[in-house]
Amino acid sequence: MAEELFRKAFTIYGGNFDRAGESSTEIKEKLKDLNIDADIVRRSVIVAFEAEMNVVMYTNVATLNFIITDEDICLEISDQGPGIADIEQAMQEGFSTASDEMREMGFGFGMGLPNIKKNSDFLTIESDVGKGTRLFARIRLNPDACT
Amino acid sequence: MLVHSFKIDHEKCRGKLACMRACPTRAIRVREGKAELLSDLCIDCGSCLRACPSGAISPTTRSLKEVKNFKYKVAVPSPVLFGHFPMGVTPAHIIEGLKSLGFDSVWTFVAEVALVNRAIRNHVEKWKGRYPLISSNCPVIVRLIQVSYPGMLEQLIPIYPPRELASREVKLRFSEKFGIPKDEIGVIYITSCQAKTISILESAEGVKSNMDGAIGISDVYNGILSSVYENQKKGNDQKFLSKDLLHGSKDLLHGMEMLQWSLSKGQRMNLQGYRYMSLTGLSNIIHVFDDIERGKLRNIEFLECYACWGGCVNGNLTVDNFYVTRSKLQRLMAELPEKDPWVESEVERRYAKENFYAKADIKPPLLKSDVGDIKERISRIKQAEEMLATLPGLDCGLCGAPNCRTLAIDIASGESQKTDCIFYSKDRLEKLRTIHLNNKS
Repeated sequence: MAEELFRKAFTIYGGNFDRAGESSTEIKEKLKDLNIDADIVRRSVIVAFEAEMNVVMYTNVATLNFIITDEDICLEISDQGPGIADIEQAMQEGFSTASDEMREMGFGFGMGLPNIKKNSDFLTIESDVGKGTRLFARIRLNPDACT
Repeated sequence: MLVHSFKIDHEKCRGKLACMRACPTRAIRVREGKAELLSDLCIDCGSCLRACPSGAISPTTRSLKEVKNFKYKVAVPSPVLFGHFPMGVTPAHIIEGLKSLGFDSVWTFVAEVALVNRAIRNHVEKWKGRYPLISSNCPVIVRLIQVSYPGMLEQLIPIYPPRELASREVKLRFSEKFGIPKDEIGVIYITSCQAKTISILESAEGVKSNMDGAIGISDVYNGILSSVYENQKKGNDQKFLSKDLLHGSKDLLHGMEMLQWSLSKGQRMNLQGYRYMSLTGLSNIIHVFDDIERGKLRNIEFLECYACWGGCVNGNLTVDNFYVTRSKLQRLMAELPEKDPWVESEVERRYAKENFYAKADIKPPLLKSDVGDIKERISRIKQAEEMLATLPGLDCGLCGAPNCRTLAIDIASGESQKTDCIFYSKDRLEKLRTIHLNNKS
């Protein structure tokens, strides 16, 4: 069982485009301060940023838990948003329910969840339509180790 | 320890903190009233050099005297040099002026710019990896990515800059022509900033440069100008201060491509049809790189980045006001054709034969080995956070670190003490008083 070494919770607000990305920036700074390998930092930051953007675009408020264990970096995001009706469909590149306005701002090209999947070593998404979504992603600190 | 493009003279340093405050990567501490560089963090941007009020920080460029030791001396001027001097001083005058300073020959890298442009276009066309691709002409950008954004290293264009290719060609050509070994030919870059010297002294990819050093524009400026005036006095040059901007220079500059290169938008024309963005100024660039690191800006295909605001025309070894230099370069460009037949034929002749790719990959700096395992590192970070909460948060810098957060991290890693903060130690304040008030002459 991995030992939890560090935990920080961030609150992310929906519709807050001007400040979107602040949590992932803080996560990046923290990982860099910890001298974590550049590629692991990059992947963690992309996962955090995409997850953050999903919250900003589709829900009112969510909590992002950033956890470091002796084995991996975990990002856990849970919201009380609209939920995802068909997770398999949402995982496909290019599938998007974003509005035209969002697309004009340069978001919502249907790459969010596929990017999260691509950059994490382990991913689960649980969603109830009308109730909310919980996303849990892990990035291993030592990519060669078996866990 | 890395070699840097500047050195700090501890005799002259008066501990004024200006360099420490100016440093964008927090690589300077002031201890015992003297500036110290944390080599691993420095990206050679030269902000400290610009900021130092004591003249203690100087570039590691060469002097004209040192250059005289080479058997055959070739100057390769940055195109920015041609934007210098009053309007009547043409590129031809400038080249003559360089020769009067002791150079046997002057090589303008017109053909090399066109060659590099083509190589970059090919690279962008064939690229299948992550976007945006990033120009590597500015050594500070290369170091910045290496030190602070190593996850983006593969996005750097791995093609030699024109100055490097020009030097390779110069050595080859003149050693054949005169039958002397390549190392007796001194190729000296006339540079607009100190940072180019790191790509000579210690290139990011760790491969030896073909250049033998650099001399700042500021070190040749007066010499060139006085040679022009002397020629004029002797009546050798009737056309001086004529309205002809290019008098006698058309064959030296050929098309406009090389001058375009110096205006920080060299790739705009070259990469027409691609989604392109030009960025200058380190703080702007850091802002955009942070966005890229989070996965934004994926739709931009090419970023042209120069650390100096406004590009190389504003390098810290330039002399004239950068707006004036830029305007002169633009006026020169307006007189020149977009493409030149000689340049085109050179590109055709050389492109297939030459290698434009850097011989080795640029590697991220090695992770410090003495940082302990993840548990120790996290406990240190936690200590630093607790420490930070007790510090005043004024970022006054009197402790010798640029801000409270940096001091907290330094304390947690055992490199500083809490008593370095004047709020926690009267002795510290007394010491500063001695350094900055009592010793004032």
